[in-house]
Amino acid sequence: MNLLSIPVLLPLAAGLLILAISDRTRWLRELLAIGVTAVCFLAALNALAPALLGQHYQLTLPWLGGGMDFSLKADQLSAFLLLAVSFFSLLVSFYAFSFPDKGKAKWFYFNVLLTQSFAAGAALADSLLALLFFWEGLLVFLYTFIALSRDTAGSRATAMKAFLINGVTDLCLLLGIGLTAYLAGTMSMSEISAEKLTLNGWGGLAYVLLLIGALSKAGAIPFHTWIPDAAVDSSAPFMAYVPAAIDKLLGIYFLARISIYLFQLNGAMQLVLMTIGALTIIIAVMMAFVQQDYKRLLSYHAVSQTGYMILGIGTLNPIGIAGGLFHMINHASYKSCLFMTAGAVERQAGTGDLGKLGGLFRAMPVTAVCFVIAAAAISGIAPFNGFFSKELIYKGTLETGWLSFFIAAEVGSLLTLASFLKLGHSVFFDKRPDELKDVSEAPFSMLLPMLVLAAVCVVFGFGAAIPAAYLIGPALDNLSLFPEHALSGFHFDNLYLVSVIVILGAVMNHVYGYSAARGKASKSSDHIHYAPVLGWLYALAEKRFFDPYEQLMKRVPDFSALLYKADRFFDWLTDGLPVAAAGRLNDLSRRFHSGSYPAYMLLMGLAMTLFVLFTANSGGIK
Amino acid sequence: MTISLLQYMLIPLFSALLIPFVARRRGKLAEIFANVTLLAGLINIGWTLLSPAVLASGFSVLAEDGFSLLMVLTIYLVGLCVSFFSASYGQGRGVNTAYFYPLLLVSVAAMCGVVTSTDFFTLYIFVEVLAVASFALITSDDGREGVEGAIKYYLLTFPASAAIMLGLAVMLLSAGTFSFDSIRIIVYSGASAPALVFSLSLLLLGFLVKSGVVPFHVWTPDAYQGAYAPVSAFLAGIVTKISGVYAVVRIAMFLRLFETGAFRLSEVLMFLGMVSIAVGAIAAMKQDDLKRMLAFSSVSQIGYIVLAAGLATPLAFIGAVFHLFNHATFKTVLFLNSASLEKAAGTRDMTRLGGMEHPMPWTSWTSVIAMLSTAGIPPLSGFWSKLIIIIALWDAGAVTYAVLALLFSALTLAYFLIMQRRIFFGKKSPAAETASEVSPALLAPAVLMSAVIVAAGLLFPYFFSYLAETIASRMVL
Repeated sequence: MNLLSIPVLLPLAAGLLILAISDRTRWLRELLAIGVTAVCFLAALNALAPALLGQHYQLTLPWLGGGMDFSLKADQLSAFLLLAVSFFSLLVSFYAFSFPDKGKAKWFYFNVLLTQSFAAGAALADSLLALLFFWEGLLVFLYTFIALSRDTAGSRATAMKAFLINGVTDLCLLLGIGLTAYLAGTMSMSEISAEKLTLNGWGGLAYVLLLIGALSKAGAIPFHTWIPDAAVDSSAPFMAYVPAAIDKLLGIYFLARISIYLFQLNGAMQLVLMTIGALTIIIAVMMAFVQQDYKRLLSYHAVSQTGYMILGIGTLNPIGIAGGLFHMINHASYKSCLFMTAGAVERQAGTGDLGKLGGLFRAMPVTAVCFVIAAAAISGIAPFNGFFSKELIYKGTLETGWLSFFIAAEVGSLLTLASFLKLGHSVFFDKRPDELKDVSEAPFSMLLPMLVLAAVCVVFGFGAAIPAAYLIGPALDNLSLFPEHALSGFHFDNLYLVSVIVILGAVMNHVYGYSAARGKASKSSDHIHYAPVLGWLYALAEKRFFDPYEQLMKRVPDFSALLYKADRFFDWLTDGLPVAAAGRLNDLSRRFHSGSYPAYMLLMGLAMTLFVLFTANSGGIK
Repeated sequence: MTISLLQYMLIPLFSALLIPFVARRRGKLAEIFANVTLLAGLINIGWTLLSPAVLASGFSVLAEDGFSLLMVLTIYLVGLCVSFFSASYGQGRGVNTAYFYPLLLVSVAAMCGVVTSTDFFTLYIFVEVLAVASFALITSDDGREGVEGAIKYYLLTFPASAAIMLGLAVMLLSAGTFSFDSIRIIVYSGASAPALVFSLSLLLLGFLVKSGVVPFHVWTPDAYQGAYAPVSAFLAGIVTKISGVYAVVRIAMFLRLFETGAFRLSEVLMFLGMVSIAVGAIAAMKQDDLKRMLAFSSVSQIGYIVLAAGLATPLAFIGAVFHLFNHATFKTVLFLNSASLEKAAGTRDMTRLGGMEHPMPWTSWTSVIAMLSTAGIPPLSGFWSKLIIIIALWDAGAVTYAVLALLFSALTLAYFLIMQRRIFFGKKSPAAETASEVSPALLAPAVLMSAVIVAAGLLFPYFFSYLAETIASRMVL
């Protein structure tokens, strides 16, 4: 039994077993899921250890034939990703133990385990075909996860939205993989990497198609629109698990794979990637800033942070890529932590509406501390992990010489901090409303994962050398990149000064907004929300004017009507027209076959004459 | 003409001569006499064709002309069905059995003469005998329509006789013989014979008129519609096929032997066949009178045979001959059923019928079998013959004709489905309320024919090997 089959097959079997367990048992399903994810975590650790020494676990089975094998390979990057996937699965399984509003426990754990199984498969796949198989499997469980998390029409609609958006982009991925395999002549990624493809001609199209698949999974603009909807229509554990962790991990992982490992990119594509990254940062953070719902605000940040990772990888220099990968794992840790605090607050206070929350620090001190650490990390405040990964990305961006992207990233940072000041202020500080007097701390099973993640934020910050040495560095080796600068370490250079300026700017903005809102923390973004022009744009955005999916769906009835008309036309062509023509010919023949003897005789004579003339001419009595 | 086939012509003729004397006062006896004669003939020819020894040898022991043998079988089959049907049908319609059955038997004898003759002159003589007998048969009952139909039949087909006689004259002048074999030898000798081709074209013209190919079809709807009901089945099922189409196929077999000069004639034949298919199918769609509709359908189906004959490849001849046989079976069923309907419901106007399936299930379902066979639905016999014809067309490169033939086959199904819905399915009409199923004696011929249709479809390999062995390999090649 190969070690690599454990993280793939064990959750799959356990997920199916959970469906068979009786509803009358208590905690059995939860404990099974926690146990299985723990075992997978250990297996992932075991896979990573030899990978760091250059020994890769491999599993190759003959599959469809014709060179299409089922091959898994735990090289440094994949093993790193597998570890992250298993880690977050374990934490979420634990967190959801006593989380009430997650849908039926049976279905929740089924979805968690199957998502884990397929995500592990996608992370380990070396054959592009196996990757596609697992990737498409994730799509199915994305749908069931959202649709089964609540029994409302909203959750079903959002599930469909997520399914359709990702389904279409997965189709692009499928085409891209087909094209890549055709161009390279092999399905194996490690074989392709030995002789990288270029962006000339069909190669360019193949890369763009693969890029669409990766960006959509990571949730970059414009494929992000289902995430904020899911924040409202789905549960906190789902948000903490899939959009915050798994999707980002896989999306960015695949982005790094294709951009560095499989293809040799050029300057134009670098610019495209960085532009997408910068736009994602700015637009999503602008949207996040004005949100009034805890999870929805976080979900926009999840999109915005993806921008940093894309920007980092888009720089195409080792330091930026290291920043992108580091940010990927950091983001997963603090964003999961933040969603978990959102779930805890929702469970204890009964709402996620910022206007109705306030002053919960006293009631929920542990949650609040975790929130503060994670918020500081996401805002890039030293010495938490987000600071270091962002610093690497800034450095990489500056190295490319494009100052505008650096400025966009810093503006994003400023707004991120500003919106977390607003969020923290309105939830944990400010005045506590009377309705929330009896709120108490969340249970241990929910606090523990939060604490673990907060600890990760701290450890990866103070001790950034650890991930740099064991996770990021080897991953870069794997991509054959060798950075000139050290990946960790604290420098009092200009970048640090810029970050101080950003912090001061954000604090000043918050103080101004707070006073302008007359002491109502949740309204402290109103000076931007209702500013001229911006207010109009925000209003349009709230009406989903900029959501490609909603806009397309609005066109669907018209399009259907058009198709209906086209269909009727073809019906007429195949049914109506022949019948009408036959009817007309029919009337003609009826009128002709009148029974009139002279007419018949005339026809007969004429036809016979013609026949004789014609045949005599050809048969030849002449 | 060989001795063994001569009996099939002579015995009905003796029987016909005998009946007016023996059964002048006893109508029943005439019926029995006729039926027994035809049944005996059918069993005899059936045994000749289908005895185990013959089947086991793959038909190679049959020394006879295979085309003629099959036609004799068909003639007796249809003849027996019609005479058996008439026996129960004729009461109260002023039909004089002492004249009717002898005429029927004379027709059968004449048809056997046509298919067994080995020269054009004898063939023509029997065709004329057949025509005279048919004129009289059409007017068997006391209706006025029959007279009109007979006169039209007579007047509109006499130009055919003129053309044939002219053709025979030219043939005698140019070739000095009427015999098939002699003409074949002349053609084989390779001598350019434009006058012979011309004479054949005149003969062809005459027989095309007699077979009712468009544009010479105008007499068929009126004649079939006006005729005494069982006689319609007889005319449509076998008489016009033998007096016209049989000879057309025979002549087409000669045409393909010419190296040059006759191919234009073959093309004309194919073109007229296609036009027949089209015009017949289109005209059949909106008819209100059932028999008139069936008449147009006949025109359309003859088109297929003529089309295949014009193509003149061995496979096409197999298709043509098989379709000729199939046409006799399914068209007889449909015409006999129209007669049953007329008897049970008092009308064959499709606007006044509807829901007849409830009182007349047997009639309805034999119609379904027959019409599906006509439209070429597997596994019924009509499917195979049409398939062979279309494959032959495709193989020979006549792709346009193949596609059109296929499309009009769909149209065939369309008009038959319309017919079936208007008459048998749907809401019960007032006519259906009072009607009841006809007697078993009237159903038996239709059921027998339906069984033949199904059997010929299912046992198609036997038929094919018969046709391939006796026609394609011996006569055409």
